[in-house]
Amino acid sequence: MALQDYRAMMERCSNCACCKFIPFDKVKSLRFAENCPSIGYYNFMTYSARGRFQLSQSLLDGRAELDETITNAIHSCTSCGYCDIGCKITRYNLEPLEHNLEQKAYAVENGKILEGQKPLIENLKKEHSMIPGTKKENRTDWAKDLGLKDVFKEKADVCFFAGCKYSYDPKLQKVAQNAVKLLQNAGVVVGYLGAADNCCAGRAHQMGFFADFKDRANANIKAFETAGVTTIVTPCSDCYHAFKRQYPKLGSNVKVLHIVEYIDQLIQEGKIKFTKTVPMTVTYHDPCHLGRLGEPYVPWNGKEKKIFNQIQIWEPRRPRYNGIYGIYDAPRNILKAIPGVKLVEMERIREYSWCCGAGAACNESNPAFSQWTANERITEAKATGADALVTACPWCKDNFVNAVDENGNKMEVLDIIDLVQQAI
Amino acid sequence: MAFPREVYKALEDIVGKENISENIGVCETYRCVPSQSSAHYGPTKNWTPRPQAVILPKTAEEVQNIVKVCNKYGVEFKASTTFWSTMGYIGGDYALQIDMRRMKSIKIDAKNMCAIVEPFAIAATVQAEAMKVGLNLNIPGVGCSSSTLANFSTWVAFGPNSISMGYGNENVLGMEWVLPTGEILRTGSLASDDGWFCGEGPGPSLRGLFRGSFGAAGSAGVCTKIAVRLHPWPGPADFPTYGLAPAYKADFGPRIKCYTLCFPDWKSWARSIQYFYESDIAYSGHRQFNMFGRNLKGAMIEIISNHERQLSDLEELLNDPYIKEQTEKMRHDYQVIIAGFSDADLEYKEKAIDYILEQTGGWKSEMMLQKDKHDYALLYLTRLGHKNLNYVYCGAYEGVLGLTGNVWRAIEVADEAIALKRKWELEHTSIAASGGDSAMGCLSGLGGGGTTGWEFFTNFDSYEQDSVDGTCAFVETTQALMNKYGFGPDFCRWNSDVRKMNGYNYTQEEQNEMFKKAAQPWVFIYQYKIRELINPKNLCGSYVRTLDPKVLEEQQQ
Repeated sequence: MALQDYRAMMERCSNCACCKFIPFDKVKSLRFAENCPSIGYYNFMTYSARGRFQLSQSLLDGRAELDETITNAIHSCTSCGYCDIGCKITRYNLEPLEHNLEQKAYAVENGKILEGQKPLIENLKKEHSMIPGTKKENRTDWAKDLGLKDVFKEKADVCFFAGCKYSYDPKLQKVAQNAVKLLQNAGVVVGYLGAADNCCAGRAHQMGFFADFKDRANANIKAFETAGVTTIVTPCSDCYHAFKRQYPKLGSNVKVLHIVEYIDQLIQEGKIKFTKTVPMTVTYHDPCHLGRLGEPYVPWNGKEKKIFNQIQIWEPRRPRYNGIYGIYDAPRNILKAIPGVKLVEMERIREYSWCCGAGAACNESNPAFSQWTANERITEAKATGADALVTACPWCKDNFVNAVDENGNKMEVLDIIDLVQQAI
Repeated sequence: MAFPREVYKALEDIVGKENISENIGVCETYRCVPSQSSAHYGPTKNWTPRPQAVILPKTAEEVQNIVKVCNKYGVEFKASTTFWSTMGYIGGDYALQIDMRRMKSIKIDAKNMCAIVEPFAIAATVQAEAMKVGLNLNIPGVGCSSSTLANFSTWVAFGPNSISMGYGNENVLGMEWVLPTGEILRTGSLASDDGWFCGEGPGPSLRGLFRGSFGAAGSAGVCTKIAVRLHPWPGPADFPTYGLAPAYKADFGPRIKCYTLCFPDWKSWARSIQYFYESDIAYSGHRQFNMFGRNLKGAMIEIISNHERQLSDLEELLNDPYIKEQTEKMRHDYQVIIAGFSDADLEYKEKAIDYILEQTGGWKSEMMLQKDKHDYALLYLTRLGHKNLNYVYCGAYEGVLGLTGNVWRAIEVADEAIALKRKWELEHTSIAASGGDSAMGCLSGLGGGGTTGWEFFTNFDSYEQDSVDGTCAFVETTQALMNKYGFGPDFCRWNSDVRKMNGYNYTQEEQNEMFKKAAQPWVFIYQYKIRELINPKNLCGSYVRTLDPKVLEEQQQ
């Protein structure tokens, strides 16, 4: 697809405002009613999905240009996908997220990117990692002494894919190690890709660098095929989304599980048992790419058709990604299973969860916007009275660690694996 | 023409550089295509003009200073909130768009049963805050996605709850209003520093001046804060929503119920509405789901209340014998919500409905009593959700054949109007063929009853030029029918004399030409004199109909 292929959507947007607010039926307060970080921070209409549709028309028709302000507006979107979910409450045939991504790709193709994006993409091309300064040869250092099987040489029940953040971030490597030990202690033979371990490039896709995404994705798919990988387990929500939703479009058939799904399954099978009480009230943050964007890809090949003169339908029936089948229950099941843990919910949860701000690498390319987005979530989490905010994504966790609420207060932030580990 | 640096700098100094933009791409996103959203002058694919800058004030004082700068330099301006309607967009080439997004506070005054709201407080949030203290808000037909302040201070504002909560202007209390000259006017009790609770005083009301019956759509200045009346709510403190998107539902407990009442013909239908006017038992009354059309509504209700369903299922569902039967039984229908403030109150209201049905030969729709359908309809009508149903199957709509007024008068025209629309659906492809009768709207726009607010939803595709053009042509025929029966301008023509089809404001000269021929030209002269008084430079659009008295004098000589 190219940007002009979205022309019908641009002209069919009803300007209903659903892209900016949580589902109206779910609104419980003024404070937490909105749900687009981009317009939330910048305030101009341009930064909403509606504004982006309108902007694309102006760009394609030559009324606007990709100057610095517009380039910044296009890339200052975390690709969290809420606009897409909100839109699909009203409309059955618009795809704001796909359009936003295509708009970013349009900017990228025209050489209009942000300074902060350059080192990420350069590192991806050179070192196959989205974390600037990291080296290919150090990618699996975190896994030393864990007894992981190299899936190219040995059989394993699952292939563990840590992702860039867990692999390189010294603060998070321990979490990945704990995750592996957790599985091993439950009797799972855990493998990894060894020297072929690579960035999933999901974040490059979120940024509109489609060619770079495809390069890495194709390399990974080839590695999975060569090694005979059938099941991937990842603790990273961005990797999960890339493998689950994007890779199948390029031919991947591998089964994909986020670690929370697998742990939930092992708890239910009695293979993970909790022995300690963790007296703590927690609230859970649904990562965008595990939650609303974590629905599985369903192949579809069809076209629009009109019935009764002007009613627009898809022929054949088209899968509708409105977030409801994302991964929401597994992490909550885990939290509820841990003795002593009390789960309290925020106002914006599940398919209408607020973004952490790190999506589309905005934490690197636009840190002020990203931090504001994280601060908003900490404010919401604090309002529940919870002791800690738990999440299941390293990017979310990292962005929340330095965030503060509207009164300047920090909050304890935990990876769900940490919490599970504390109870064993 | 871009603003001179002096003008831009003066504006920037008021709000700071991060809250103003003259970037062309940014300003382009503040244009409106009237085929995509409500214009009330018929769909067109013409864009409204691009503003020279967009500004985001945070306080009334900032608005005041912005308006003063506009006066000083002769810059047109228009304030808007959610930007859903064309009415909120500027209509000239040398103009400033004021985006009120940063002003969104809500203060609930439970004791005085009112909410003091800023412009960007949408009805969904006002309602959520009100329900926490056992109160509710009259959400007009435009839906909860729209600004409460804009609804009540600058436009018509009637809807499902109007039967128990009143017309828009009945709900406006104290008001803070930046006049087009930049002066701040406070009305009602606010003017005498007595708080927001009363619209009529002590202190000047001037409500008629600012909004009258229809509202000035922003052409009388910028309203920065109003108090709106809140009403008793016997339901939960927040919506106990269940189900999956987009088919959310809610059970409000045994004291709040939603019925779809059906009748054998228009006469019994109208008589039942008369009974509702007389009995005062309805919390809400609306003909809602007929918006999908007489032939399609049963199947569409099944689709929208089931998260697994899609429009692709429509044809299959239309062949379902049960849905066919139920749809047929709902030909002459509407929805009502009754709310019991005690068990005895509910019992009385239930009995009253039974009596009304007995007297009129009506019945409750069996399909809409199913729990999932009931809870969907109840939640939708209470929150008046999000306009999703307006757009769901074609993406764009116009309301035509606005049979607003006495219900008995409306039904005299109903069958002819239905036949006209059905004929068009069958002979043309420009509008959705939904069965002719797609009339929807409130049982009463006035508190206690008395006037309906119907419109026939006419759905079209804003992307397809033929569909847009065909819809415009259809509007011509519906207007002819409206003229024949003396109903006046059709719903979608209400604004045709206040903004041009090309998206621009009318000039005073153009308005003079129109209104000098009016049956009562002195009305427009009166409005001209008011406009001269509060808006001498005529800077905020042409939504107030005015006639220069000199023109009439010349005509009479």
